[in-house]
Amino acid sequence: MEHVLPPLENSVTGLYRSVLTHLRYSLGKQPDEVSARDLYRAVSYSARDRLLDRMSETLARYRKNDAKRLYYLSMEFLIGRSLVKNLAALKLDGATGEVLRMFGRKMEEILEEESDSALGNGGLGRLAACYLDSLATLSMPGFGYGIHYDYGLFKQEINNGYQRERPDSWIDGADALHVERSDLAVVVPLYGRIEHAEDRWGQYNPMWMDWKLVVGVPYDIPMAGWGGRSVNYLRLYVARPSTDFDMKIFNQGDYFRAVEQKIDSEKISKILYPADTVSAGRELRLTQEYFLVACAVRDIIRNYLADHQGFDEFPDKVAIQLNDTHPSLAIAELMRVLVDEYWLEWDEAWGITSKTVAYTNHTLLPEALEKWPVALLERVLPRHLQIIYEINRRFLDRVIEVWPGDFDRMGRMSLIEEGPEKMARMANLSIVGSHRVNGVSALHSDLVKSDLVPDFYAMWPEKFTNVTNGITPRRWLSRSNPGLCALVAEHLGPGFVTDLERLRALEPLAEDPAFGEKYLAVRRENKERLSRIIFENAMISVDPDSIFDMQAKRIHEYKRQLLNVLSIMAEYILIADDGVEPPAPKTAIFAGKAAPGYQTAKDMIKLIHSVADVVNRDKRTKGLLKVAFLPDYRVTLAEKMVCAADLSQQISTAGYEASGTGNMKFALNGAVTIGTLDGANIEIAREVGEENVLIFGLTAPEIARLTKEGSYRPAALYQKDTLIRRVLDALRDGRFSPSEPGLFAWVVPYLLSERDRYFHLADFTSYMAARKKAGEDFTDRLLWAKKGILNTARMGFFSSDRAIREYAEKIWKIESVPG
Amino acid sequence: MRIEKTESGKALVLTIFEKTLDASVAQDFKNALLEDIQSGRNRLVLDLSHVTFMDSSALGAMVSVLKALGRDGELVICGVRPPVLSVLALTRLDRVFKIAPDQEEACYLLTPT
Repeated sequence: MEHVLPPLENSVTGLYRSVLTHLRYSLGKQPDEVSARDLYRAVSYSARDRLLDRMSETLARYRKNDAKRLYYLSMEFLIGRSLVKNLAALKLDGATGEVLRMFGRKMEEILEEESDSALGNGGLGRLAACYLDSLATLSMPGFGYGIHYDYGLFKQEINNGYQRERPDSWIDGADALHVERSDLAVVVPLYGRIEHAEDRWGQYNPMWMDWKLVVGVPYDIPMAGWGGRSVNYLRLYVARPSTDFDMKIFNQGDYFRAVEQKIDSEKISKILYPADTVSAGRELRLTQEYFLVACAVRDIIRNYLADHQGFDEFPDKVAIQLNDTHPSLAIAELMRVLVDEYWLEWDEAWGITSKTVAYTNHTLLPEALEKWPVALLERVLPRHLQIIYEINRRFLDRVIEVWPGDFDRMGRMSLIEEGPEKMARMANLSIVGSHRVNGVSALHSDLVKSDLVPDFYAMWPEKFTNVTNGITPRRWLSRSNPGLCALVAEHLGPGFVTDLERLRALEPLAEDPAFGEKYLAVRRENKERLSRIIFENAMISVDPDSIFDMQAKRIHEYKRQLLNVLSIMAEYILIADDGVEPPAPKTAIFAGKAAPGYQTAKDMIKLIHSVADVVNRDKRTKGLLKVAFLPDYRVTLAEKMVCAADLSQQISTAGYEASGTGNMKFALNGAVTIGTLDGANIEIAREVGEENVLIFGLTAPEIARLTKEGSYRPAALYQKDTLIRRVLDALRDGRFSPSEPGLFAWVVPYLLSERDRYFHLADFTSYMAARKKAGEDFTDRLLWAKKGILNTARMGFFSSDRAIREYAEKIWKIESVPG
Repeated sequence: MRIEKTESGKALVLTIFEKTLDASVAQDFKNALLEDIQSGRNRLVLDLSHVTFMDSSALGAMVSVLKALGRDGELVICGVRPPVLSVLALTRLDRVFKIAPDQEEACYLLTPT
């Protein structure tokens, strides 16, 4: 018998019926007693029903075509809010608005009920979310695999200028977002020891004994492509104990210890580690990484074996992408499963693994490359350590064949770092076990080859490639800037959000004063909305006619929020002490979280607030300069910021930012980038035209030379440059912390140290000049509009659709399977 | 725990009537098998057809039994359900024990004494 349900209707009547049904039967509510929260959930369930139908159809289509599948393994997926995206993707937003009106509610009110799914720290996690959006939009069989953390990135509150972290439990309400698939649960072994034995044919047989089992239960979040033609999934795993209690402990009468062990298993998926937290040596982080990898590899093999026999076709049907080294244990796990559980010979298993896996590098900071103590690996994953050793032994045999007698090189390339504490180098494992290694911007990919891992590049030049990051225009234009979308659609018609290069057709309009005025009017409206948000959240009143100058990103020394603050102090001193007015009134807006254990970053937040206090209170700056810090930066806030920016601060020390994606979001919405020649800024300048960005500062080779020569002399700059001296002296004298004079004394020696590896003072003067130029350009309204329009028009290259097509073609070899 | 023992030619067939072989029963399981070995039985068939879950302590017990059997003894397991087979594969114990679909086949696989 064929079981067929009538299709769900997307009409207003059909949707109304769905919402009523969910109110009554999923939530137990009567229509006359529903809250905004109830309606949010009922609408979410109604959207989810439709997404599940499409997902089922999409998966059947992929299966029918025996399409190669991509599995994107990432410890982070920063998806933000889903409902609004899903409604737009399904073209249900109009009908939903109608239905909500029947309940006397407005769409925006209901959308505000959804918590951000903050399952990521920043760029890396947001990139993963953008890529899932593009994969579905392009009807490509690509699926995300991650961890269903109970607590995502912390909520940031500001108390007396200091960051306070609060737990963020996003899962309240997430039941309307995802579907539990306990039928697809997998068991994951951890800990134990290797018993060295023989098999029944007398061969060496290492047996992994005494492990503990944890169960991984998947939750699927449907990922709708634009237009709803294809719906893929993001599969997130929750850790559960293998049985409710350890019965032995329970039977011994130790109920509490049994409960503790249950909690131990569950804590694997409890919390997302903040970035910049020293995670090396942290057992929980290692178990999290392995948990993800083990769940994913089992699921991938099960999917593959559902339609194929043997593993010969595996690399032709499966691609696994490692989003940074965090899931790099997938290489050892796939080898273990193939060799131990499916009895493949080592060489065959290695051929399959290394043709299947590819690795994206996201950092140039050597200290940020993951390493795990061998002793910890041996305790947590004894069999995997054996496999890593064997991979290394065979790999080093090849190295010595290529470079006979070069033992220094062997030491650098080895997967194991010798020293007082032996460490496993996960980046080396990722490179050795992958068929492609990509950086995320042209500069970054070059530096990976020349500076980060030159030995590996010399050995396998063909492995290394570049895929510059991208952002989804559905989130970062359609959602974030509906006013601009409507304006663009008036001239280009619909459809540009799935073909962003079409924005190029706006170029002639950059010369049209009438269009320029409309363009600025849209931004003015966005700035007014942001002004209200700033007042509500930071209690600072700002002028929407001032230049909105924004730096919104994680707080990190290399991103140089400090350079921005120093320049604000300088501009303040010029106004207050010298009476020099800036070319245009300015509102400097900051947002970003500091990792809880990263004290310098947390001190930076306090510094920004203290400077803001002094600047904003001083009558001499009235109408000229304001400083605001918006707390709790997250996807939803970013959506409201990027569309309201005039100026986008992308000022990392050259050679430090792998790509950046915030730079792309701001530029797509027309903000002018003020930035260094770092990461994707270089490509943004290339695309939008150097006359439409403000580039300043030392280049990556110049920074590298200063570093190599040790010739950076900040004290000489302090002596020579009066403005630098005035700013630093003001900091030292407590001008920006009048009630606590010594509070920022640390900044001065920090900046004057020749070991300041972020070269703040080296770029100060050129940065000040670029800021001044920005202010001057801003005063010419039509010039400013022209620059904005040309930024928007020429950012098509940075669509995540382009990035995904490149990955599909160069690395994954997957194809679109349209419905 | 409940174990039923039957003779089949030279073999002693032990059928485990437990759904779960874990730490709570592993010691009893091990003792029961070691008892037979100590009494001179060295051709054993272990029927796991009722077992749906086995943890590492039960696998450890099986390794102890194997060691006690020595080079002259033999243990064949049968009726292994997929979840149990997967933990045997995980530990590579499927390379150590002969595995048969049922008791009859298991007895056939035993090397004659």
